[in-house]
Amino acid sequence: MAAPEPPKLENQSLPPSSLLRARTGPLTEDLVREPGRFGLGQTPVRLVPDATTTMVCGFCSTGCGLSIHMKDGQAINLSPDSEYPVNLGMACPKGWEALTPLDAPDRATTPLLRNREGKLEPVDWERALFLFCERFKEIKARHGPESVAFLSTGQITTEEMAFLGSLFKFGMGFIHCDSNTRQCMATAHVAYKQSFGFDAPPFTYADFEESDVLIFIGSNPCIAHPIMWQRVMRNPHHPEIVVVDPRRTETAMAATQHYSIRPKSDLILLYGLANLLIQRGAVNRDFVLAHTTGFPEFTRFVEEYPPEVVTLATGISVEQLDRLADTIASGERVSFWWTMGVNQGHESTRTAQAIINLALMTGNIGRPGTGANSITGQCNAMGSRLFANITSLIGGHDATCKEDRAKIASILSLNESVIPQQRAMAYDEIVQAINKGRIKGLWIIATNSSASWIHQRQFNEIIAKLDFLVVQDLYHTTATAQRADLVLPAAGWGEKEGTFINSERRIGLVKKVHRAPGQALSDFHIFQLIAHYWGCSDKFKRWTSPEAVFHLLKDISRNQPCDITGIEDYRMLDEQGGVQWPFPERINRSEEQPDQNKKEVSFSKERRLFEDGKFFTEDGRARFLFSLPREMPEKPDDDFPFLLLTGRGTSLQWHTNTRTEKSDVLRKLYPKQCYVEINPEDAQRLGIRVNAIVSIASRRAKITARAFITPTVQPGQVFIPMHYPKVNELTFPAFDQHSRQPSYKASAVRISRSEG
Amino acid sequence: MIGETRFDLIDRLIAEQQYLSAVERFAQKHEQTNLPLQAKYYRDLIPLTKPGKGQQYSFEVDLDRCTGCKACVSACHSLNGLEENETWRDVGLIVGELDGQAYQQNVTTACHHCLEPGCLEGCPVMAYQKESETGIVRHLDDQCIGCQYCTMKCPYDVPKYSERLGIVRKCDLCHDRLVAGEAPACVQACPHEAIRIRIIDQEEISQQATANGRMLPGAFDSSYTKPATRFVSKKTIPPDAEAANAHALTLQPAHWPLLVMLVLTQAAVGIYTALTAMELLNIELVSRIKLPVIAFGFTLLNLGLAAAVLHLGRPLGAWRFFLGLRTSWMSREILAFGLCAGLSFLATVVAWLVSASPGGLPLMVAASLSGLVAIFTSAMIYVDTRRQFWNPQRVFGKFYGTMLLLGTAGTATFGAWLGANSLAGTMGLTALVIQAALFLWEMSGYHRDLRNRNRPNYQSAMTVVRLLPWFAPVRIGLFLLAALLLLANCFDYLGQSAAWATVAFVALLASQFIERFVFFTAVIPLRMPGGI
Repeated sequence: MAAPEPPKLENQSLPPSSLLRARTGPLTEDLVREPGRFGLGQTPVRLVPDATTTMVCGFCSTGCGLSIHMKDGQAINLSPDSEYPVNLGMACPKGWEALTPLDAPDRATTPLLRNREGKLEPVDWERALFLFCERFKEIKARHGPESVAFLSTGQITTEEMAFLGSLFKFGMGFIHCDSNTRQCMATAHVAYKQSFGFDAPPFTYADFEESDVLIFIGSNPCIAHPIMWQRVMRNPHHPEIVVVDPRRTETAMAATQHYSIRPKSDLILLYGLANLLIQRGAVNRDFVLAHTTGFPEFTRFVEEYPPEVVTLATGISVEQLDRLADTIASGERVSFWWTMGVNQGHESTRTAQAIINLALMTGNIGRPGTGANSITGQCNAMGSRLFANITSLIGGHDATCKEDRAKIASILSLNESVIPQQRAMAYDEIVQAINKGRIKGLWIIATNSSASWIHQRQFNEIIAKLDFLVVQDLYHTTATAQRADLVLPAAGWGEKEGTFINSERRIGLVKKVHRAPGQALSDFHIFQLIAHYWGCSDKFKRWTSPEAVFHLLKDISRNQPCDITGIEDYRMLDEQGGVQWPFPERINRSEEQPDQNKKEVSFSKERRLFEDGKFFTEDGRARFLFSLPREMPEKPDDDFPFLLLTGRGTSLQWHTNTRTEKSDVLRKLYPKQCYVEINPEDAQRLGIRVNAIVSIASRRAKITARAFITPTVQPGQVFIPMHYPKVNELTFPAFDQHSRQPSYKASAVRISRSEG
Repeated sequence: MIGETRFDLIDRLIAEQQYLSAVERFAQKHEQTNLPLQAKYYRDLIPLTKPGKGQQYSFEVDLDRCTGCKACVSACHSLNGLEENETWRDVGLIVGELDGQAYQQNVTTACHHCLEPGCLEGCPVMAYQKESETGIVRHLDDQCIGCQYCTMKCPYDVPKYSERLGIVRKCDLCHDRLVAGEAPACVQACPHEAIRIRIIDQEEISQQATANGRMLPGAFDSSYTKPATRFVSKKTIPPDAEAANAHALTLQPAHWPLLVMLVLTQAAVGIYTALTAMELLNIELVSRIKLPVIAFGFTLLNLGLAAAVLHLGRPLGAWRFFLGLRTSWMSREILAFGLCAGLSFLATVVAWLVSASPGGLPLMVAASLSGLVAIFTSAMIYVDTRRQFWNPQRVFGKFYGTMLLLGTAGTATFGAWLGANSLAGTMGLTALVIQAALFLWEMSGYHRDLRNRNRPNYQSAMTVVRLLPWFAPVRIGLFLLAALLLLANCFDYLGQSAAWATVAFVALLASQFIERFVFFTAVIPLRMPGGI
C-alpha cells in the first residue's frame, strides 16, 4: 500500500535535556513509541510484538477481527485488524479490552466443590469429574433421562457447542437443554425458519453501506453494535435513517427520522404500514407472485389496520405514518434491521415476521442494500442456532425426520437410536420443570442465569431446589457460580481454538494466544474429559480437536442451506478473513477460476442470500406469516402506573458484566451506580429531583436507582440499563409463544422518592 | 485416548491447554509490512503538511459523528501503553431538550493543547512545554515533581496523577506518530471518523476564545486558556443544554498534606503577626511570652512545610521550583514560605540568644510580613484555578481568617499559661470576636448558596449537605465549645484558665482542619462535560 507523502517533521521540537529541565529519563522512556512492524504503525516500546495473529472478538455478534500482538507466543496487546472485512480496522472498547478480563484475579483455577459447611473448596479434576458423572448418573437412574438439563451459551465456540449438544444427547442420553441464545436470538431463529424455511439472516454488512433507506426497529446500534454503525456512517448514498423505538436513543438522535411509538405497539405499526403500502401500490407484484405465498390473505388481514387504528395504538400521528410509508415506498434499496427491541417481546416472532413481510412485499430482499435483517446478539449465537444440537438436530436438521437422523448417525458413526426425537424443553420450560421437581440436575455453561433470567428472584429460588448444580465458567464469582455445588474452571476466549459465526453468517476463527490460569481447561477439553469419565468416549473417537470437529460439522452441513463443505480448514478461514455460509464445495471451486467478465472481486468477502429469489422452503417461496396482536401481558395500572423498559446503556458492558467489569478502563467509562431514566414531567409530578435516589417497585421486587431525568423516555415510561445486577428482579416473565423468548422490555412498575 | 489411564488424560489435556499454538499454526501475515495498514482509514483525517508559523495542530471533533462508543478512550489507552486505570481521553454527555424532543450529544475530549495552557502556567518546575513547531503541549515526565497543581489549574481536568509513578501524565497528541505521518491513536480508532487533526491559526484560536465564550455547554470560559480543539456540528445545541453530570455530587480529593500545611502555616503566621502587633503596641507582659510563642510558631511553620513536601510525588526535583516564578503561584508560594521560614528562624535565634537585641523587632516584623505575603501566595494558588468555590473572597477570607483566629487564640493560650492574664484576656476576646465573625460569615454563605439553585456555589453547598452531613453539627459543636471556653476565660469563670484556653485552641485548630477538609472536598472542579 503506497501511503501518500507523510508530513515529515523534525523530531526536535523540544530542545535537549539539561540540568534544569529533564527531557529524558526513565519516566519519559516509559511512554516512548517506536515504529511497529506487521503494519501496525507505532507501538509502545514495552509492547512491541514479535508476531501478530488475527482472531475474531469474543463479545458480540458483530464478529470483529482483532490483530493480537504477540511476544514469545503470548498475547501482550491488541488492535483491530485493518483488513478484516467486518470491522475495517475498528473495534468498540470491549474489543480493545478483550484480553484484560482473562487476567482477572477471580478466575476459577481449579474445580471447586461445595463442602459440608456450604463453602466452595478446591478439588482436583479427577474427583470433580468422578462426582459430576456419579451425581448425574444417580439422578438419571432414579428419575429418568428427562431429569437432567443443561443451559448453555452463545459465547463458546461452534465446535464446543456441537460437542456439548452431542455429548449430552447422544453420549449421556439426556434430552432437555437450552442456551442463553433463547434470551436473544430465539425469535429471529423461529421467524426466519418459518418465513424462509431456514434460519438464514440474508444480509451482509456491506448492505449497511448500500441502502438508500435504513430502518432500525428496536435497535440501537450506536451503543449496541458501534462497528455496524460504522458501516452505516460509511454509506455514501446520504440515506434516510429511520429509527422506530420508544426511547430517543443515541441512534434515534443520529437518525433522520425517529418514531417514538408506544412500547410493544410495533406489530400494529408494521401491519398498518403494510396496509398503507398496499393501498398506495408500493408492492412489488412480480416479486410477490414469483417468490412468496400468503400475500392475498395478508392483504386482507392488514386491511383491519387503517391509519386511525395504528395511530391510536402507537401514539404517532397519521402524518408521521404517511411519511414513514412514503420513505419505504420511495426507497430503491430499503433495508430493515431489528435487534432486541423486537426479539424480546411477548409476540416477537410475529413482529419479526411483520418486518420480513414488509421486505418481501416491497421486493427489498436479495439485492444489495436490502433485506429483513436481524442483528444478532452474542459472538456465536449463529453457531448455536445451527450446530448446538439443542432445538434442531445438529446442522439445522430435523430430529423427527428419519433421513436426517440417518444422515447424522452415519456421519458421526452413531447408532441412529441414540438420537432423541423428543423436542428439548425451552429455557423457561426447564426452569418450570425444576420448580415442579421433574428436573433435578442442571449443568450451566458460560452463562450467568442467576443474574440474567427474567424474574430473577423466582429463578434463584427455583434452582435452590436442584439436587445437583454444576456451573462451568471462567470466574468462580458469578452470581450463578456462587450457587453451584460444583464449579468447573473453564478457559476463555483467546485461550482455545475454534470458530464463531457472526450476524452476517461469517465463520471466524478464535485462536489460543493466552495461557489459561491454573488448571482451567477449555470447554472442549472438559467435554472430552466428561465423555471419558461418563464412559461414552468411544462415541467421540473422532472428536479429538476443535479442527477435527470442524471437519465433522462440514460434513454435517452438506446440502443444507448452511453448507460449508467448501471451507478447507482453519487456515483458510484465517487467510480469507472469515467465510460466510453458505460456502459449498462448488463455490470454492468456481472461485479458483474466477470469471474474468464478472467484476465481483468481493464475491467471497461479502455475500447475501436469496439473490435468485429462491427460499429454503420446500416450494422455494417465502411465507407471509401473521396473527392477531395480543395485549401486553402486564400493562401499567393504577398500582404500577409506569412501564419499565430495559436495554443496553453503554457500549462498555457485556452480558451480566462478569467480564467487562474486570477491565479498569471499561469500568471507568460506565456509570457505577444503577440509574433510571425518568421523563421530566413524571419527575416533577412525583417531586423527584436530578440524581435523587428513587425506588422502583414491580409486583416482584423493589430496587433503588439514581434518577436521571431526561425526555429520552416518554412520560409513563422509565428505562433502566440491563447490566445492573438487580434489574431482572423487576422484570415480568412473559414469553413469545413461538420462540419462548422472554419479554424483558415491558413490566409494570411504580416509582417513588426514596430516602437516602 | 485409547489405553490412556484417566489420570494421564487429565495431565495431557492440562499440558495441551498450556501450550500456545497460534503463532506456529497460522501463517504470519504482514511480517514484512512496515507501513501502517491502518493508514487508508485515517489518511484524510490528518494534515499533509506541518504547521507553519503562527499555526499549530488541534483536534477537531465532529459531534454529529460521535455516538459515545468510547473506542477512542480504550484505543488511546492500549496504543499508548498507559497504566491499567489510566486514560487520557474521556467521553461526556450533554443533555437538554430541543423542540420538545430529547437532545443528547456525546462528546469525546482530550487535552486541548491550549494557546495559554493553565497547566503550563501553574507548573512550578516548568514540566510543561508548548512545542514551538506544533503547538502540542508536552508534559516532561522526568521533570515533574508530582505536585499535582496542574490537575487543579487545567480547566478541563486533563492531566492525571499516577500514585504509582508519582507524576502526572497527559495526552501528547501522539506527537511522534504525527512526525511519522501516522494519526494519533484516537483518530486511528474512531469507527465514525469523528476526530481529526487540523492545522489551525493561533490567531484564530485567540479570536474564537474571546468570541465564543465556551467550547460546549458545561465547559469553562475559553478565554482563560484558549483551547485549540474545535467541536463542530450541523445541529443546534439547545440553549439550556447542560452536562449530564452537572448535578452530580462527588467528593474531591482532600489533599491531606496541603490541608495540614495550610492550617499550620496560617496558624504560625498568625502567631508571629499577633506577637509583632502586640510588641508594636507595647502590650503589657509581651516579653514574658515572646520566646515560647516564637518557638511555637516556628515549629508549626516547619511542620506545615514538611507536610507540604509529603504532597509531592517526586520531591527530589523540587529544588527547581524557581523555574516557574514568572507564572506559577506555586513557585511564588515556595519562595515566600522559604523566605518566611528563614526570617522566622533568625527571629527565633535572636529572641533566644540576645533577647534584648534591637534587631529583634524588625526581624519579627519582617517574618510576619513575609508570612502575610506567603499566605497571599497560598491563597492565589487556589484563586488562580478559577474554581467557583475558591473565589478570592472566600479563599482570602478563610486563609487570613484562619490566620487571625489561630494567631490570637494561640497567643492567648500562651498568655494564660505564662501568667500574662490581661494579655490572654485581650487576645482571647479578640479570638472570640474573630471566631464568631468567621463562623457567621461562612455559615451564612452556605445558607445563601443552598437557598438558590442558581447561585454559583449551590452545588458545593449541596455536596456539604448531602455528602458531608456531619460537617455542620461538628463545626457548630466545636464553635460552641471554643466560644464558651473563651468567654468563660474572659470572665475567669472556670478557673484554670490556661487549660481551658488550650482546649479552646485545640478545638479551633480542629475546626479549621475540618473547614479546610471541606475546602478541598466540596470544590467543584472545572472540567469538560462528564457522563451520567
